Amino acid sequence: MTLPFFGLAFAAMLGMMLVGMPIAVSMALVGIIGGIAAYGVPFMDSIAPVVWGVHNENLLTCIPLFVLLGELLLRSGIADRMYIALSAWLGRLPGGLLHTNIGSCALFAATSGSSVATAATVGTVALPSLQRRGYSMRGSLGSLAAGGTLGILIPPSVNMIVYGSLTNNSIGQLFIAGIIPGLLLTACFMLYIAISSVASGHVMREAVVPWADKFRSLVHLVPPVVVFGIVMGSLYFGIATTTESAALGVMAALAFVWHSGKMSRELLRNCFISTARVSGMILLIMTAAFVLNLAISLTGVAEQMTKWVTSLGLSATGLILVLIVFYLILGMFMDVLSMQVATIPITYPIAVAVGVDPIWFGIFIVLMCELGLITPPVGMNLFVVHGIRPDKGGIEDAIWGALPYAVIMIAFTLLLMAVPQLVTFLPSRM
Amino acid sequence: MLKEEGAPAAASAPETSVKEHIENVLAWIFGTTFIALAAVVTVETLSRKLFNISLQGADELGGYSLAVGSTIAFSLALMGRNHIRVDVFHEMLPKGLQAFLNWFSIVSLAAFGIFVAWVATKVIADTMAYGSTAQTPWATPLIWPQSVWYAGLVIFALVATGYALRATGLLATRRIDTLNHDFHPKSAKEELKEELDDLANRQAAEGAKP
Amino acid sequence: QDRIKFKAIGQPLATGLIQKNKEQPFFENFAQRTGLPIDVDYKPIDTLGVKDTEQLRVMKAGLFDIVSLRVSQNSRDEPTLLGLDLVGASPDYATGRKVANAYFSTIDERLQKQFNVKLLGVWPFGPQVLFCKKPIAKLADVKGMKVRVYDQNLAKFIEMVGGTPVPVSFADTHQSLSLGVVDCAITGPSSANSAGWPEVTTHQLPLGFQMALNGYAISLKAWNQLKPDQQAKLKTAFDGLTSEIWTYSEELFQDALNCNQGKDPCTTGKKFKLTNVAVSPADLELVRGAVTKVSLPVWAEVCDKSNADCSKKWNATVAPVLGLK
Ligand code: NA
Ligand code: NA
Repeated sequence: MTLPFFGLAFAAMLGMMLVGMPIAVSMALVGIIGGIAAYGVPFMDSIAPVVWGVHNENLLTCIPLFVLLGELLLRSGIADRMYIALSAWLGRLPGGLLHTNIGSCALFAATSGSSVATAATVGTVALPSLQRRGYSMRGSLGSLAAGGTLGILIPPSVNMIVYGSLTNNSIGQLFIAGIIPGLLLTACFMLYIAISSVASGHVMREAVVPWADKFRSLVHLVPPVVVFGIVMGSLYFGIATTTESAALGVMAALAFVWHSGKMSRELLRNCFISTARVSGMILLIMTAAFVLNLAISLTGVAEQMTKWVTSLGLSATGLILVLIVFYLILGMFMDVLSMQVATIPITYPIAVAVGVDPIWFGIFIVLMCELGLITPPVGMNLFVVHGIRPDKGGIEDAIWGALPYAVIMIAFTLLLMAVPQLVTFLPSRM
Repeated sequence: MLKEEGAPAAASAPETSVKEHIENVLAWIFGTTFIALAAVVTVETLSRKLFNISLQGADELGGYSLAVGSTIAFSLALMGRNHIRVDVFHEMLPKGLQAFLNWFSIVSLAAFGIFVAWVATKVIADTMAYGSTAQTPWATPLIWPQSVWYAGLVIFALVATGYALRATGLLATRRIDTLNHDFHPKSAKEELKEELDDLANRQAAEGAKP
Repeated sequence: QDRIKFKAIGQPLATGLIQKNKEQPFFENFAQRTGLPIDVDYKPIDTLGVKDTEQLRVMKAGLFDIVSLRVSQNSRDEPTLLGLDLVGASPDYATGRKVANAYFSTIDERLQKQFNVKLLGVWPFGPQVLFCKKPIAKLADVKGMKVRVYDQNLAKFIEMVGGTPVPVSFADTHQSLSLGVVDCAITGPSSANSAGWPEVTTHQLPLGFQMALNGYAISLKAWNQLKPDQQAKLKTAFDGLTSEIWTYSEELFQDALNCNQGKDPCTTGKKFKLTNVAVSPADLELVRGAVTKVSLPVWAEVCDKSNADCSKKWNATVAPVLGLK
């Protein structure tokens, strides 16, 4: 297959996605038609073993398990109570409750596989009190939208699982690699809030909370911290594989739900239905992605692209800079999961060919997805926080509020380029 | 949820309850599969670490659970309209074109479902022909998990075809508004509404407690 | 002139030096190596997103012409294959070659009948040996230890000698060793070297539990489109390749064993300081005994179910070269 023809097929796929065709169908259709055009009926017969291979992949079993884990903590109200506890601790910092937004998002991110769930949960608990206390709406919306994106950088992360399984990289290593960048980005966000708050001239702070109350509130942080500790600890110390760590996390979450007295048929049913819907959506896209991947690798498109790009004499740094622009633009218009599965089969081999570390590149892709979540016009987290704001205002408040965080994310990506050890240090010690 | 308040086509209350009933059954199968898996895997991991005993096969079980669970999840995602579609540009198109795209989306999704089920038929036929047996301590005859997996895919194909036929009926009878209402891409707003309803329920329950 | 284009499925990229230095160059210079007007589009299986257990099915679908067949994985669909590599049957290269020759036509016939593919050659990754982080002086010392295994046959064997088999993926083994999730692990010494296992172990026992045999096969459709003289040339080229790999594999094996214990010559790996445990006749006896005690009966039961003559054929062809009745 020639590159122009491939370009056409890729454009057709994006076009189908953008007019609102189901993502999975757009990808599968291009894969199947491309494959059959190149290889005839045998291509179709080869799809069968590939489909079973994807659905029987124990590695992907951790997707429903991690989603279920987040759902259990969310729907039992454990995540809601986290916010109250954190506001007692972070409220005195300049910027007040905005820090609590980021902190809660980071903490809940650490257990939930999804950033939308993170933004929605924390946002709903936070926004009414933010408005009552006179925080600027832009600042509030921005911190929530951006904080929500931490959900896919701080493990567990569905996007990392997708990356790992598409590129044959260890999901455990990706998770561990996400910890330092996740914490650092959280710190950057909080630093920005503090600085901009001081610079604005009127510094928001919350009232002093007595130490006794502070310590009493810590009990609400126990479930997320323990679940995160079990998942990441078992991974880091090699006690469990990724899927096993997810299973341990689910059992721990179940125990906390049981302990909270919220366990009911109704709760379980709701958790099961949402888990099934989310994982069904992801896994159908994965199925389509592997069909498309078969076509791409058979036709040798990725190799041609790789050859072409390397012939340009691009350095690793040059390539990443180009990819930042590429993903920034693509992320404006595409759903980030779709963006990921549609582009990785092409960009990954190129990146590896010019010498980019595969784990580092995984974290880079996740950062680009985070960026996509808060850039207009298609920015899922912008929609979410806009949807829950208690007053009547335009979407532009969320967009402007999130803009500084988008800039921070890009700067942060550049930092990771300069100091790649921030990503590679922990996994290399596993 | 397919219907909202003030839906133009409110004539189908029994259909809704049938749909909810199917959803419930599938959700319980899905959920208990993964809870049971999580329990088995936890026991395996702990017993390996603490007592040096390995059940051998928890990973195999994980693969089969996914095979069964994922196909059930396809149907549930379809019924909840969760198979993602980008809705930004969609909203700008004229109603007629939107209707056509909505119809085409569900028809193509059904076609994809049928295609995957058809492809799976070959997998099943091969497994039976070769008497394939997993290369694992359990030596599981592959046909056992694969037949359940296959059933899940057929259910998905049938459910999708059902929706596609309904959309085709609506298009043929020019009920454009109903078609657009029932089959348009799920917007962030709708997804959010579900989250908020659930949150409101949680907080109401919290408040109701003494 | 008419050039033929074949598509080939290769070993996964990360499988080591045989793939990198022998297999890939052979397929990339196919025309030159075979003297035939054939170009091969060579794809390592992991770049295709196809699982290695699915190789035979994908071959039967007809999209590919040549496959570097992974024997253990594909015995799922064709248990007859595993007769090549029963645990304990080939503790050394010489025996491995004898088994491969004796069993070749049995597999060839079966593959042709079931999957329309023809066997072109059989080659070894090499002996799969034991690495431990606790002192051992003989095989029997693994009693009570947790041992990383990669398939059912090996698991049964480890149980037989009193160890606890733990299935761990290759990628996770280094970490599992370092943290004590397992005490010992089994793989080829060269793979162990490149994966850094000697950093987290202390002893190696160079006794081959399995030879890790693999094969090359061609679809009958591709084979039959060649003229008889072309077929002969192709077969000769593959004979050359596999015989090269047999020799290379043995060199690698010896070299890696040297590297692991910090001896010279060591040209293919990193030097470590493992204690090399001498293989005693008793160890050999124990491994050989596994054939009749464990691996043959377990395998025969599964294999005879899908291929009625399976164990009968094995007893007629392979048993005599192993000196079994
Ligand atoms: Na997360
Ligand atoms: Na965006």
